[in-house]
Amino acid sequence: MRGGSRAERFAPYVLVAPAILIIVVLRLYPLLLGVNFSFTGDGERNGQTVGLDNYLELIDDPLFRTALGNVGLLVLLLPVAVAIPGLLATFIYLKVPGHRFYRSVYFFPAVLSPVIVGAIFNLLLAFDGPVNAVFGAVGISPVDWLGNPDVAMFVVVGVHIWATFGMALVVFLAGFATLDAALLDAARVDGASLPQVIRHVIVPGLSRTIAFVAVTTMVGMLTSMFGLLYVMTSGGPEGSTYLPEYYIWIQQGQMNRPALASAASTVLFVIMLVVGLLQVKLLRRAGGED
Amino acid sequence: MKQRALWSAVLVVGLATAGCGSASDTGSSSGGSTDKLVVWDWKSGEPSAAPYIEKAKADFATKHPDVTVEFVAQPFDQYYTLLGAAIQSGKGPDVMLFNGGGQIRDRVDALVPLDEYVAEDKQRLAGWDAFSKDGKVYASPVTLQGHPIYYNKALYEKAGLDPASPATTWDKFLADCAAIGKAGAKCFALGNKEGAGIQFWMSALGSGILTAQEYDDWIAGKRDWNSPNVKRIFELWKEAGDAGLNNEGANSTAMFNDSFALFQSGKAAHVIGLMSDVGHWKDFNEFLTPEKLGVMNAPVVTAGTTPSLAYDGGIGYGVAKWTKDPKVAADLVRSLTSTGALQAFYADAGAIAADTTIDVSQAGPAAATIVAALQSGKPALHVALSSKTLDLMGRVSQQLLSGSISVDEAVKQLAASDQAG
Repeated sequence: MRGGSRAERFAPYVLVAPAILIIVVLRLYPLLLGVNFSFTGDGERNGQTVGLDNYLELIDDPLFRTALGNVGLLVLLLPVAVAIPGLLATFIYLKVPGHRFYRSVYFFPAVLSPVIVGAIFNLLLAFDGPVNAVFGAVGISPVDWLGNPDVAMFVVVGVHIWATFGMALVVFLAGFATLDAALLDAARVDGASLPQVIRHVIVPGLSRTIAFVAVTTMVGMLTSMFGLLYVMTSGGPEGSTYLPEYYIWIQQGQMNRPALASAASTVLFVIMLVVGLLQVKLLRRAGGED
Repeated sequence: MKQRALWSAVLVVGLATAGCGSASDTGSSSGGSTDKLVVWDWKSGEPSAAPYIEKAKADFATKHPDVTVEFVAQPFDQYYTLLGAAIQSGKGPDVMLFNGGGQIRDRVDALVPLDEYVAEDKQRLAGWDAFSKDGKVYASPVTLQGHPIYYNKALYEKAGLDPASPATTWDKFLADCAAIGKAGAKCFALGNKEGAGIQFWMSALGSGILTAQEYDDWIAGKRDWNSPNVKRIFELWKEAGDAGLNNEGANSTAMFNDSFALFQSGKAAHVIGLMSDVGHWKDFNEFLTPEKLGVMNAPVVTAGTTPSLAYDGGIGYGVAKWTKDPKVAADLVRSLTSTGALQAFYADAGAIAADTTIDVSQAGPAAATIVAALQSGKPALHVALSSKTLDLMGRVSQQLLSGSISVDEAVKQLAASDQAG
């Protein structure tokens, strides 16, 4: 009996060991190596400990500061990125005419790779491209969509939202499936307008879904815009569309500065950690309200 | 409680490792066996390069029949990232392809100096400077890369200009551009999305702007950023943009290959292109026909300068430090740069090969003009700059075009970057 209980006590540890080992060996250990590497030098100082030099260089580099500023911009644009699929899902749920058609069409961009999406929009948004031709036809002066540093970042984020909102839309539709239709009917009987229905019935009913979409959209914007940036702007014009990911890639691959790239990776990791923890908190709170 | 202790232990161990600051081991060597050589490049996968690879392999097989050669074609946009990882780990290919200039100079620590092995090729091949650092050669040139100014003779005729005598001075050039503008075309096809437009501009026009002394000093590393002539390079860039000589939206036009497409389709009369690989005489010949494609000297901006063609070694093969027998690997490099192999490369891939003994008379007037200019040519100005300064130059060139920075400020930033590295 004693032996049995000991085996029982150890069983959980044995069972989780493979998962823990994989995380430790393939995730945490390389992470520590990377952090360690970021305290060494590049080029002639390869292999030497240089303390915080790489981090000081990052703070000094206006390009890295732009990249961090753009992360801030992404956070600010998050509500837009969540609201668009949310609103469109609402319309589909409320069965606007043609909702079946829209449901499938909206999902279509989500199956395209970022490289293809980028190439399509490169053509559409070229200075002599169709979008500016339409502008010209109605008498609006052409916009250099990808060549104007004040506009380019918003264009790339816009295209990213266009390319990825289909997935969030599906999540929202799943959320609507759990919404109590009786509440909507009751609101209508009471004479609530559409904005009032959204504000007082749909948003509270979907708070968990909204929080989940916010978290996944944020992660998506921070980690998977590289392809679009690479194809659409190459970080330009004037370095205005740099994101930390792109900066890391340039320093490692083009500038031959792997240690500096490691330092930038570490900074990005810390940012992701903070954003992730905040979002976990947000999710918990949303769950508590329910 | 137990959990907390465990986590603190993990944290302490982690921090201790981080504090040690040990790093990659640069000295380790672990190449393949001597009877197999691995070559990394981004060319061998292309069908047009197949005859070149075949010729080189055959040449090498006569010297070392018992050694097999494996070519691994990497995607170019990932090439230096992959190579960087290989160098960090001290393991990788025995022979590898490099672009001349900064890309190889930044990585000579991982390469074997080839001087003693390739001495016989020194005369026959051109473009060694781009693969040298501190007086030692680290790769043998395969192609030459440079920046001729191509022009469209049909547009010259349409604008009432003589296609046989393009402008030799900047003032005349501007007058020609005005005539071309009236005929409905832009003067320059410019793609500066990647920030590479300014590099081509600097190198193609530099010999007409800098004095011979300034030019040589620049290449030798004594760059005087306060010189009015150096500043003039950037002033002209800005003036050309402000005067509408370039196609619209230059900052969002990709050089590869949107700007070349503008030139090929007759929407712009000039383009600063390349000699090898892409955006070159062979591509343009196809669209404009060889008779309508011209190559002109840089117009003289500063009186007393003698314009010359800017070119360097384009791509070349080097030998990794960790290879077992550098002599055998160097022999493979020699086969890859043999006259027979390079003849095939020039003919099929469309490149100005490093071998100056190859006859190019079949390739049309533009290629012939380029080859004739090689004799008096000089290394390109931008190739002498570090990748970091080039990256910065790309960004400030975009700012100059959009008007968000002054020429003085741009030159100041570039001087600081150049002198720091």
